[in-house]
Amino acid sequence: MKISINWIKNYLNLPDQKDWEAFGDLLTVRTAEVEEVIDLAKSFDHMVIGQIDEIRPHPNADKLKITVTNIGSTTHQIICGGSNIFVGQKVAVALPGAKVKWHGEGDLIELQASKIRGEESFGMICAGSEIGMKDEIEGGILDLSHLKDLPGTPLAEALNKNDIIIDIENKTLTHRPDLWGHYGMAREIAAITDQKLKPIKFFEKYNLELPNIIDIDLKETKLCPRYLSITLDNIKVEESPNWLKTALENTGNKSINNIVDATNFVMLELGNPLHAFDTKQIEGEKIIVRKAKAGEIITTLDNEEKKLDKDILIIADNKKPLAIAGIKGGLHSGINHKTKTITLEAANFEPISIRKSSVKLGIRTDSVQRFEKSLDPLLAEKALDRLVKIILDLCPSAKIISKKQDINNFKYQPKVIEFDLDKACQKIGIEIDKKTAKDLLEKLEFKIETSKGNILNVTVPSFRATKDINLPEDLTEELARLYGYEKIKPIIPELSIRTIPRPNDELKEEHLIKDILSLELGFNETINYSFYSLKTIENSNLNHNDHITICNHLSEEQTHLRTNLIPNLLLNAKENLKNFTEFKLFENGRTYKLANSFFPVEEKFFAGIIVLNDKSITEPFYQIKTAIEILLNRLNINSLKYQKSQIDNPLSHPNQSATYFDFKTQKEVINIFTLHPQVAHNFNFKKEKIACFTLNFSALHQLPHPPRKYKNIAKFPSITFDISLIIDKNQEIANIEKTIYKADNNLITKIELFDFYQGENIPKDKKSLAFHITLQSDNRTLQDEDMKNIQNNIIKNLEKLNAEIR
Amino acid sequence: MQKLIKDALQEIQQASNLQELKNVEVKYLGRSGLITDLLKTLKDLSTEEKRTKGQEIQEIKKSFTENYLIAEKKLQKQAIEEKLTKEFFDITFNEINPQRSQQKGSLHPLSILQKEVEEIFSEMGFEVADGPEVESEYYNFEALNIPAHHPARDMQDTFFLNCPTDKKQGQLVLRTHTSPVQIRMMEKYGAPLRLIVPGRVFRYEATDATHDSTFNQVEGLLIDKNISLAHLKGLMQEFLKRFFKEEATVRFRPGYFPFVEPGIEMDMLWTKNGKSKWLEVMGAGMVHPNVLKAGGLDSNKYQGWAFGFGLTRFALLRYNIDGIRSLHSNDLRYLKQF
Repeated sequence: MKISINWIKNYLNLPDQKDWEAFGDLLTVRTAEVEEVIDLAKSFDHMVIGQIDEIRPHPNADKLKITVTNIGSTTHQIICGGSNIFVGQKVAVALPGAKVKWHGEGDLIELQASKIRGEESFGMICAGSEIGMKDEIEGGILDLSHLKDLPGTPLAEALNKNDIIIDIENKTLTHRPDLWGHYGMAREIAAITDQKLKPIKFFEKYNLELPNIIDIDLKETKLCPRYLSITLDNIKVEESPNWLKTALENTGNKSINNIVDATNFVMLELGNPLHAFDTKQIEGEKIIVRKAKAGEIITTLDNEEKKLDKDILIIADNKKPLAIAGIKGGLHSGINHKTKTITLEAANFEPISIRKSSVKLGIRTDSVQRFEKSLDPLLAEKALDRLVKIILDLCPSAKIISKKQDINNFKYQPKVIEFDLDKACQKIGIEIDKKTAKDLLEKLEFKIETSKGNILNVTVPSFRATKDINLPEDLTEELARLYGYEKIKPIIPELSIRTIPRPNDELKEEHLIKDILSLELGFNETINYSFYSLKTIENSNLNHNDHITICNHLSEEQTHLRTNLIPNLLLNAKENLKNFTEFKLFENGRTYKLANSFFPVEEKFFAGIIVLNDKSITEPFYQIKTAIEILLNRLNINSLKYQKSQIDNPLSHPNQSATYFDFKTQKEVINIFTLHPQVAHNFNFKKEKIACFTLNFSALHQLPHPPRKYKNIAKFPSITFDISLIIDKNQEIANIEKTIYKADNNLITKIELFDFYQGENIPKDKKSLAFHITLQSDNRTLQDEDMKNIQNNIIKNLEKLNAEIR
Repeated sequence: MQKLIKDALQEIQQASNLQELKNVEVKYLGRSGLITDLLKTLKDLSTEEKRTKGQEIQEIKKSFTENYLIAEKKLQKQAIEEKLTKEFFDITFNEINPQRSQQKGSLHPLSILQKEVEEIFSEMGFEVADGPEVESEYYNFEALNIPAHHPARDMQDTFFLNCPTDKKQGQLVLRTHTSPVQIRMMEKYGAPLRLIVPGRVFRYEATDATHDSTFNQVEGLLIDKNISLAHLKGLMQEFLKRFFKEEATVRFRPGYFPFVEPGIEMDMLWTKNGKSKWLEVMGAGMVHPNVLKAGGLDSNKYQGWAFGFGLTRFALLRYNIDGIRSLHSNDLRYLKQF
């Protein structure tokens, strides 16, 4: 919301500040966040009123003219291309140093004295759009002949732009309906700067004898706690006077005509929206406040048709809707230059219904912004009294022809809060004495009539009582901010024995896994969104029915909550292939799955992907496997069983997928797999070799983590020998190793595959393998005899597997 | 024989490195070395001759060995010195084929900072808690003193999920802040409480340089008797000091969040290129009595504060990242820098 300092000065003696930014900061730390302090005059620096004394043609350009322009102290030759210039005209002259927008376009450019087509030009005569205003005539300059100001007057002064505008972040006013008008803001500023707030003038002399003219039929007393109305005749709708136009324009509002401007002015002054109807357009001499009928249609002031429904409150006459209550007026009954009689509305509407209707209709107005904050019903009457006063001032011919009708269904009861000052101070963390507290609260018009010790009975002013101030805590805030948060001295809280933090082992293990994957195993951590698109689901062979969808998604890329971390990692991989050929990525995050309970199941997962060049001699699957084994070893988890995947994983190559399986829960805790060729194709991978893992961390963390136990280093020497063999290609290494172990479960302590070969010199269906085999005994030194026996047993066993020993 | 020893000693002197010296030793004392051969001749001599000749040869051998050891010592020293001074070593050399060797992995900056924040608060006696990312309207709003149709719901544009609704819980949403965990922890543990909740939150906001539909937040909660805003200021200054590793200046100003009263915004004085300005870093305040009540705590007995800040924002500040988008780009050129 934009606050004009000139406007504020009507209500208090606010001294001119050297540094308005600092003043903005003060408001920020006491009341509400100031987004920007704008010095309106600044954009008119080096601009003055000029008067054209002489015009002659430019010798070198048909469209340009040479003027001699009086700027008060002197005259200058200025070249001008405006089509509407004449001798004696008052114009806006930008002198060298001024910043203008050439032809109203592009960035601001600093003017310099220069030659235009060979003729000297000291500055320029501006069009409206060149100095941030409107162009009245296409190709014409801004005609200021109507101004009384003499040549040489600074333009900012002549245009009433000598103003400071404080732009306040609306969000910080969410709970402060009282600050949605200049008077409320002035009250705040008065309290902060220790000034006196001046009263404003209201119309008071109503004639109770007058007729209603327009009857009010208030059908929805809950949605409209108060409705005031009055009718005036002999209205002359015309352009607003300068002061009113300036007030509106400087705060970012458009001036329309004196009547509409008056309603807007009072709204911007007191914060209560107002409306004026053209009385002639009210059929049946009656205003009905009712809910709309389903399908009823209104054309709003900005000429938009809106379809209403039965929850929307409207202002209607006997035949038709006149306005959407508290939201927007209708075109039909709006004020125009033919209007002679007006009926004014000042009302109070229920905030929730205003808000709901506004959202439903997609209309957000200044009026909605205020009504949805819970306005004070007492304010409606003040606003009407003020509006009548302003209209009578603007339009002296106007005559009140009705009585002031006030239909209301609220009971105002002053709110009194028992405020324990000691308790408040204990929350703020600072001592504030009773007198200071009382003074501060009273500056904001809280009344403290009685007190017992440090317990004050505080009466809340009506304009703060609607929602904002209900509890002693609310008063604590008032006190703290006015006293000054900067006066709070920082203290470190005591850490008592009672509050020794509970450990969070799950989180610790999560961090540990991240560390192992990245720092030890060379994965790069990614963080993806929790969503993906339908297309990604389909590309991943996943079933979209298993997914939770977002009602109001932002983009088609973010429609479904992920049930698997791999799809987004595949997208990351695809993207990174532009710059890298081989890499490993992982992510730690949650999956979201539908469940029988109200809340979906959220599981924490780790997932990883290894991408290798097609020329790579290793398979990424084995790298993943090694990584997982190192990880499990680091985490002291040894209860998982490694086996071929039993569950179909749509992302994985059906024959190249394995699982680390928990017998107890029958759950696959970790899956490792080569990416399904179809999925690889769908994601547009070319020849890259890709393998992935998914690790259900929520399940993994539940597994036993038996502490590491030290094992004595063998006292007796070990014997190592090698065995080379050729065997069927389809024999699993694990099975061969198992067969080798069978030769002597006790003495064989280690089997290590150290050579693997397939290809030339070996039959096509065979592979060549070589193992280091280590024998070790805990209680004796092994003899050659032992080795020979075992060797023979191994060979015998392997031969049963059709192995040929070399 | 005299010539032999003279030659031998000369050869020892002339050896210019250890290998040459070794060769000299082999020549004289090897299996068929000159001195060894002399010793072999002894067995054919008479006892008397054996004694005198033998003694003579032993003398020669002794003299050879003595000289040899001296020379060896000298040459060893010389060899080390040569290595120290002359051997070229290029510390800028890189492995020629890193493809096969281990690549450097990395943690995501948000992970790094989350852990740092957790550690700092742990050191200050806070525990670290966690809660669901899919929340109900009840926990995300109602319990936090944001009733339906409250204008404050505008401040937190919400993603709603297509799931059945519940009478008490309302609709399922993606949590818009980590604050629902306040209620869950009060329900679970009662008071006192001293915890932080790092976590992912979601806003229905189109992505641009400063906004994203997903970001990371850290919630803090301290509930006990006699806890005041002064403690908040103290702890936050300490936290920021430890996090940014320099003295932190903070200021409180009024801020509106329905779940706290008084509600404040905390700014930090941020200096960049010699220019200082106040930077909004977190929202905070004294936990609203309605929130304590929703969590099952007696607001007459307990009081305290809560705060929430954007870890994402801190990551931008810490690493001088200029746009929020790069945090979710997952581009290795960027990830590898951490």
